[in-house]
Amino acid sequence: MAELRTEEFTVNMGPHHPSTHGVCRLILTLSGEKVIKIVPVIGYLHRALEKICENRTYAQCIPVMDRFEYVTAMSCEYLFSNAAEKLAEIEVPERAEYLRVIMLELNRIASHLIFYGVTAMDIGALTPFLYGLREREGIIDLFEMTCGQRLTYNYIRIGGVSKDIPPQFEPKCRETIKTIREKLNDYEGLLNENPIWLVRNKGIGVLPADLGIAYGVSGPVLRASGVKYDIRKDDPYSIYDRFDFEIPTRENGDCYDRYLLRLDEIKQSLNIVEQALDALPEGDIKAKVSPNFKPPAGEVYARVENSRGELGVYIQSDGGKKPLRVKMRGGSFNQLQVLPEIGTDCLVADLVAIFASLDIILPEVDR
Amino acid sequence: MTFDELKEYISANYPDDMTLLDTGRCEPFYEVKAEKLVAVCKRLRDDEQLKFDYFCNLGGVDTGERMEAVYSLASYSMKLRLDLKVILPHENAEIDSVQEVWPAANWYERELWELYGVNVKNHNNLTRFLLPDDWDQGFPMRKDWDAPDFIRMPEL
Repeated sequence: MAELRTEEFTVNMGPHHPSTHGVCRLILTLSGEKVIKIVPVIGYLHRALEKICENRTYAQCIPVMDRFEYVTAMSCEYLFSNAAEKLAEIEVPERAEYLRVIMLELNRIASHLIFYGVTAMDIGALTPFLYGLREREGIIDLFEMTCGQRLTYNYIRIGGVSKDIPPQFEPKCRETIKTIREKLNDYEGLLNENPIWLVRNKGIGVLPADLGIAYGVSGPVLRASGVKYDIRKDDPYSIYDRFDFEIPTRENGDCYDRYLLRLDEIKQSLNIVEQALDALPEGDIKAKVSPNFKPPAGEVYARVENSRGELGVYIQSDGGKKPLRVKMRGGSFNQLQVLPEIGTDCLVADLVAIFASLDIILPEVDR
Repeated sequence: MTFDELKEYISANYPDDMTLLDTGRCEPFYEVKAEKLVAVCKRLRDDEQLKFDYFCNLGGVDTGERMEAVYSLASYSMKLRLDLKVILPHENAEIDSVQEVWPAANWYERELWELYGVNVKNHNNLTRFLLPDDWDQGFPMRKDWDAPDFIRMPEL
């Protein structure tokens, strides 16, 4: 009888794999169904946004930033505006700051709702996807009501925001918050105790805290490993120090904890939006900033807490109309970098669950 | 530790290694000499008072006359922020890899090499990843790179 022979083989996961959330290619070396090596290949969505920004005025950079991380475009706009305001030392009116916080937090909830749906869909449950996107629709309607756009808003501008909210915004927003609070019970009932969900997620893709720290991981992924680090509390920007909210953390750092943590964050964000609506002052919504705004020469690194970790931008200005250098930093970049460390020695099907739980989005990685 | 205390601490403990740059901003930018970079980074990470264990960002800058590498650091436990800047010549720039200090730097350094042409010494995997594998048109983030109207698609 001929001797049975086994050998490792190489397989491409992506770039058009439905679970890679964009176009990421993972070159997997497999031994049977076990993954023994992962090499991420990125760059399929490289649009040279940083180079484009160098050839635009500061005001024109904001729509470009929208395309950097389109699932939470508000954070990107806020980030760039905040960096430019730090460079030029512009005071932002009180009302504008409150409106920004409302939009940022609503956008975070929308992003986590997408995470909820898409992660479940990757693992094979289609219903949560419909649930998550249904509730997200309410938030997207609020954005559309305010600035006319549903995905790339161009709403937060240097010095403030572009438009005031319409009168029907507040009742609609409170109603949406109430709906999401109610529906969260459904979400948890659907997955939290679901035996298939537990088997697919518990103990899978454990990210130890020290490994996460070494790889510069931030945001919900790191907090699920027990590191209490949130830029909103630890390096406060905007007016986050005025709100009362908790930073949820989890201990195990596996896929299940990353999922639970995001649901916890939705609840905290809902509280922040409510507090901001209650305290929303009257007044101006934009400081006077010329369209040909020229900040003095200097440099700044600004960062915000996004739904995918730290979103940062480094701007160097030479005193001209256009920035000399814009460098964008997204949380997904580091989370994809750590994937080969936590994804090896698991099954291919688990790799899909791990990839989904890291909530990587590729435009943010490739820029 | 506030920013002023951080400045004082650094001027007292790192007098020869780090020079404060006047960028007029609220967060301190320090210049570090290229040959001292790895040693200074290691000290900053292991310093009990600072613990800069979080590698946030590395960006190259081409000012037209020189290259700069800007490292943004933070500390998870001490809640501090710091930026380091290494000034390099425009041509044949070389810098040491800091991935032994922070593994997170690996991909950022690849990007610095790929888009700016700064050679990163002691890097374990200096290969293309944002640009196509057969890219042969120079370093696109440099200021003297002329953006063409059309870019050849990679052959399939």
